[in-house]
Amino acid sequence: MSALALPLGITRRSPTFAVGASIVLLLLLAAVFADVISPYNPTQAFPYEVLRAPGGKFLLGTDGNGMDVLSRVIHGTRYAFGIAVPAGLIMVLIGVPLGVIAGYKGGVIDEVLLRVLDVLRAFPSIILALAVVAATGSSLVNVVLVIGFLDSPIFARVVRAEVLALRESTFVRAAVAVGNPPWRVMLVHIFPNAILGATAQLPIRMAWAVRISATLAFIGVGVQAPAPEWGAMIRQGAEYVISGEWWVATFPGLALIGLVLGFNLLGDGLTDLLDPRRKATGK
Amino acid sequence: MAVAVPVVLGIVFLTFMLIRIGHQDPVAMLAGPLADASTYAMIRKELDLDRPLLQQFITYVAHLAHGDLGRSWQGGAPVLPDIITHFPVTLELVVLAVGLAALVGIPVGIRAAMHPNGRFDQVTRFGALTAFSIPTYWMGLMAILVFFYFLRWAPPPMGRVSLEVVPPPVLTGSVLIDSLISGNWAAARSAAAQLVLPVGCFTLLAMAPIIKQTRAIAIEVFGSDYMRFARASGFSRKTLRRMALRNSLPPVLTFLGTELTSLLAAASLIEYIFSWGGLGQWGLNAILQGDFAVVQGYVLTLALSAVVVFLVVDLAVLVLEPRGHRRS
Repeated sequence: MSALALPLGITRRSPTFAVGASIVLLLLLAAVFADVISPYNPTQAFPYEVLRAPGGKFLLGTDGNGMDVLSRVIHGTRYAFGIAVPAGLIMVLIGVPLGVIAGYKGGVIDEVLLRVLDVLRAFPSIILALAVVAATGSSLVNVVLVIGFLDSPIFARVVRAEVLALRESTFVRAAVAVGNPPWRVMLVHIFPNAILGATAQLPIRMAWAVRISATLAFIGVGVQAPAPEWGAMIRQGAEYVISGEWWVATFPGLALIGLVLGFNLLGDGLTDLLDPRRKATGK
Repeated sequence: MAVAVPVVLGIVFLTFMLIRIGHQDPVAMLAGPLADASTYAMIRKELDLDRPLLQQFITYVAHLAHGDLGRSWQGGAPVLPDIITHFPVTLELVVLAVGLAALVGIPVGIRAAMHPNGRFDQVTRFGALTAFSIPTYWMGLMAILVFFYFLRWAPPPMGRVSLEVVPPPVLTGSVLIDSLISGNWAAARSAAAQLVLPVGCFTLLAMAPIIKQTRAIAIEVFGSDYMRFARASGFSRKTLRRMALRNSLPPVLTFLGTELTSLLAAASLIEYIFSWGGLGQWGLNAILQGDFAVVQGYVLTLALSAVVVFLVVDLAVLVLEPRGHRRS
């Protein structure tokens, strides 16, 4: 009974969070147990079963190579998390320290950060990611690095805004007044409090990472078919849409929407949970 | 205005670096497999790649200032005229969709803000979040599937005007406007029909963030002292809504301006799906073919138009902002 108390309490306080967390958790389980639950090998082609409609032996049909769509959709979760998690890690590792330093110290670092943000704001992130990945080569590592680097200034901005507010708060001033060196104020007093805002932002940025990596693959840079990546699968399915073999493009798209929506709900709910004052405005 | 200068320089620098960080060798691409060493050296000199980076950058900026964006690595056509012909094609799509999205999205956002967490608010919030999570290209594909393949309502998703009608002369670059001006009704009807699906998809996608942001802004406006005073004074709901709209508009407009960049990017995906043949499709093709002279021009055009939009929006907000007179 007590084991259920916490999840139930959270569900009551933020149903959004509960729904988002369940979706993400479900898909994460699918990624971990992909080999166990998929009916076929995701890249095994059945030459006599090309473009089979959903039903029968192939629950979600087969694609143009005769590969099982269901197994490929399930294995796609591995690519999605495999890109979103390390990219998110890069964003946090670069963005959070940058935001804390820029917000607390101000001065040149802050000025440079703001200018860089201005420049990046003028670029649509998808196009920039596309161009950079196309220029540096379509490997999985490049995709992760580019997404991580492009998004880290956004993290820096969120953290910076929190730090600016914290800097003027009584407890930080007290910490300075009793003689703490700046690094200690930042690390011990500001960092743990500023990290909350970043925590709520993380799932939303990971939703972005999933979206952008799929878009890259859809355009044809990034992960390449026949790897079971959702964007690449939609790309394969695009040519069959006009002739009515709808299942090839539809199902990976639904999975993609599910995960992106899950991450977004999780982030929205987390914002509500972490800051009860914001609940009324629901930002 | 002064803020824009370092931003533009940053943009120019980033686009300049695009082809220099890459593993793509433009020289090999231009020279072809049969070229000898002297041809290589010649092309390298012509592309200005044989000098230090800083000098290359200065030359690049000087060329830009003269409107010289270089030549395509494939085919050698100059980049700037291509941008000029492709730009209005994309503009037609973006202006129609964003206009529609704002026209519907802003009132919906304000309505949702009147009763936060009420039923209307919860439904629109979930709807907007869902629309926000749908990939642009997938929505386009599904629209084609449903309205072209299953229902047969939409024309084939291939270009801006049916191949069976005589296209109008190019005046403004928008097929719809051009055919209306030249009185070519068949072409106008075809162009309008071709526009429905891409504009529809695009509108839905653009509307989601507009609703979300307008709602957040309007909630703040409704909570302000002057709105509470107006409410206490017993103004009708209609008047209150109008006052809220008037006061929410400046920040919403600012948001729209910043959003336009990502909408231009979304436009390229819509174009890609519907074979629209505008700036976006042209740029995506260049990315796929590794034609980085064109990619440079494309990315630069997007970023610079974003800066122009930021400036225009700032001016518009100054005019619209009720307290703007004092602030400026």
